[in-house]
Amino acid sequence: MKLQNKVVFVTDADNEVGKSVVKRLSEEGASLILNSGSGGGALAGELADIREAGRQALVVNVDLSSGEEVADMLAAAEEALGSVDVLVHNQALVRKASVETCEEALFLESLKINAKTAFFCTRAVGRQMQRKQAGSIIYVSSIHAEKPTGSSFAFSVSKGAVKMLAKEAALVLGRSGVRVNTIELGPLDGREDGELFGSDFSTLYRDYEYKVPNASLGTSDDLAELVLFLSTDGSRYVNGSDIRLDGGFLLHYMNHKMKRP
Amino acid sequence: MSIAGKIALVTGAGTGIGQGVAVELARRGAKVAVHYNRSDAGARNTLSRIESIGGEGCLVQADVARKEDIDRMAEAVADRFGGIDVLVNNAALQLNYDFFEHDEDSFDRMMNINLKGYLQCIQAVVPYMKTKRSGRIIVISSVHSKRPTDFDAVYAMTKGGIRMLARESAIELAKYGITVNAIEPGAVDVGKQSVRESKPILSEEERERQKHARSSILDKFPLGRVGKPLDVANLVAFIASDESEFMTGSSIRLDGGSMLL
Repeated sequence: MKLQNKVVFVTDADNEVGKSVVKRLSEEGASLILNSGSGGGALAGELADIREAGRQALVVNVDLSSGEEVADMLAAAEEALGSVDVLVHNQALVRKASVETCEEALFLESLKINAKTAFFCTRAVGRQMQRKQAGSIIYVSSIHAEKPTGSSFAFSVSKGAVKMLAKEAALVLGRSGVRVNTIELGPLDGREDGELFGSDFSTLYRDYEYKVPNASLGTSDDLAELVLFLSTDGSRYVNGSDIRLDGGFLLHYMNHKMKRP
Repeated sequence: MSIAGKIALVTGAGTGIGQGVAVELARRGAKVAVHYNRSDAGARNTLSRIESIGGEGCLVQADVARKEDIDRMAEAVADRFGGIDVLVNNAALQLNYDFFEHDEDSFDRMMNINLKGYLQCIQAVVPYMKTKRSGRIIVISSVHSKRPTDFDAVYAMTKGGIRMLARESAIELAKYGITVNAIEPGAVDVGKQSVRESKPILSEEERERQKHARSSILDKFPLGRVGKPLDVANLVAFIASDESEFMTGSSIRLDGGSMLL
């Protein structure tokens, strides 16, 4: 059990990535703080498994972009479970929007959900981790922190901001033994990435499953394994890294030689 | 390589890099709209320098955190000069706050000016560029779009977002013949200018004196000096010209090699 006595805060436990992370980390003995917009409803199965295994999960539902709400919630959670050892920030609001016509409200909402929450969750757990002189902060980001989409620019802009937050925090909190890393996630099996990110301006998602060199898409379980690695001391020298998790999807230049069945 | 007769809007042109860019573009024959928000004395100084070398310019005031200000500014420039060919997105806020000093107010202020402001300035000029099937958008970013500052995490977040904004805008606006590129300056000597206190550009003697006072900084620059606004202006002038037509979505580091050390 790699995470016995460790407290992990997962910021969006309801989405697919969140559920896989919850399942994998709790299997390793972690106690969990789960922010759930559904109040745990979307997680009923996962929560039942956690309780059956005799582990702890605290379900909360706070505004993660409010520094005060997050700090108050974490102070209460500390009483119940202890201070946070690992933060898994996995907010992902993807909205179709064009640079030319995007409304201010949509742009600000994307920044708020994807980037502002990352900053204020980091600030709150960073204080707890500084006291302990240890901790790991993991942002589940996207290859679109680097590669434009042509369809959902507000998402890539906000993930570009998180990429730099990770580097700032890796430096500042790094002096207190805290590691901060970003996972740049590519397309997943079973998720409609072509729908999410496809565009008229970019051919990136045309036949995208074959652009992964081995023509085999990853899953949220692959992501959970990487999150587990970054949560443990085995990754003690990994800090301020952007880890691309896409099976090599981004390596194509002009889409030559795709491996097709 | 000519930009004579082109109409350029330079934001934040009352101080520092923006002032240097505005004056140089005018010296090369462009008609330059000098934008400012609070640096009215600085902006007047920029305009008088433009006029003293026989250039043509005008002043436009706007708060780039407010869309209605930005739209009014673009309209005023187009009315005055008959269109907009070049936008230099430069106006930005840097607060130099420690990581834990930032609160929701400072976070929002920086995002609104640095990131939303850049987006909305792009949105405001695109209609004028579209009608000519040609345009140059140049965003002044920073080496801190890739490397942390260690003194202002939110500033770096905005620059990380700007990097992606430039890339997304580049693929989306290409169909109109509009290119979008980012310049990433390192340290630039802007004298003692600030938003509140604007002075004319330093004389050569003053510049020399500053060089010696800052010799430890100069060890960090392979080329032996920090940047000048004119260095940035020369690159802006190239990107603004017709000769740069095949370059879009590029981020050009302009730092005397300092990022290499």
